[in-house]
Amino acid sequence: MEFEVINKNKDELVFMVNGADIAFVNAIRRICMMEVPTIAIDDVNLVKNDSAMFNEVLAHRLGLLPIASDIKSIEGLVMPDECDCGEYCPQCSVPMTLNKKGPCVVYSKDLESLDQKIKPVYDTIPLLKLKEDEEVCLEAYAQLGIGKEHAKWQPTIVCAYKFYPELTFGDECTSCGNCAGACPRGVLQYNNNKVEIMDLTNCSMCKSCYRACDDRVINISFDDSKFIFKIETDGSIPPEEVLLKACDVLSDKADKIIEIV
Amino acid sequence: MIPIRCISCGKPVSAYFDEYQDRIAKGEDPKAVLDDLGITRYCCRRMLITHVETW
Repeated sequence: MEFEVINKNKDELVFMVNGADIAFVNAIRRICMMEVPTIAIDDVNLVKNDSAMFNEVLAHRLGLLPIASDIKSIEGLVMPDECDCGEYCPQCSVPMTLNKKGPCVVYSKDLESLDQKIKPVYDTIPLLKLKEDEEVCLEAYAQLGIGKEHAKWQPTIVCAYKFYPELTFGDECTSCGNCAGACPRGVLQYNNNKVEIMDLTNCSMCKSCYRACDDRVINISFDDSKFIFKIETDGSIPPEEVLLKACDVLSDKADKIIEIV
Repeated sequence: MIPIRCISCGKPVSAYFDEYQDRIAKGEDPKAVLDDLGITRYCCRRMLITHVETW
């Protein structure tokens, strides 16, 4: 199996997998979304909430905040169901507090975490608005969890793959350039009386070029053992860590099956 | 209040809301601002474009 990174930045990783089975690639995709643990606020104790926002709405908003949960930050933290404390202990949960008096807009940066590393990824998320003399006072517990249980624990926002497109021209091609004009994604370009393929990974196989071609000499197909995989995260975990963790989870699952059989 | 995440894909769009509003108020083109903020998908773009701040 071959890998090639096509594009990579802070929250996004696009790579090519060559020589893989579709079942394997799909397993990786599903585990990336559903079984890579992240941290999210799971329980909120509201001491005071004078704002116009309902308690449960506020608690829901807090739950959706992306919280830093890369390997370094979550080191030593265990899943709540593996912890024998019964409620909240430093081993399985991170307490956070929010104390604010209006008039102001309360942002995610106002949430004070007991752990310096485990805190909201973005400082600028507006949580609620407080008017004159209104107060909010709450404590929240962030815990590890997986996307299977609730979408707030999903590390990825876009996690998808597609087959690698194949585009070939027949011998009867007259280089008219109609296909290049029809391509909505700029994959084909017409330069010096010749049609050139610019960026094949961007092709969505829409067949616009095929329909624009009078002689129908363009062949569009895909290679079913070659994939373009895209992982985009909400910022809580870098995408390459999501992929590595997903591979670990898959290999653990495989080991379990071998044990049983 | 704007939803924390994009309803369709889950991108935390609310993190860019204040900057988006400020820049629109200064007269910048919404399209240019969204492109600059890196909000590329149309599901996320509509979250910011269509939001009306009421209270």
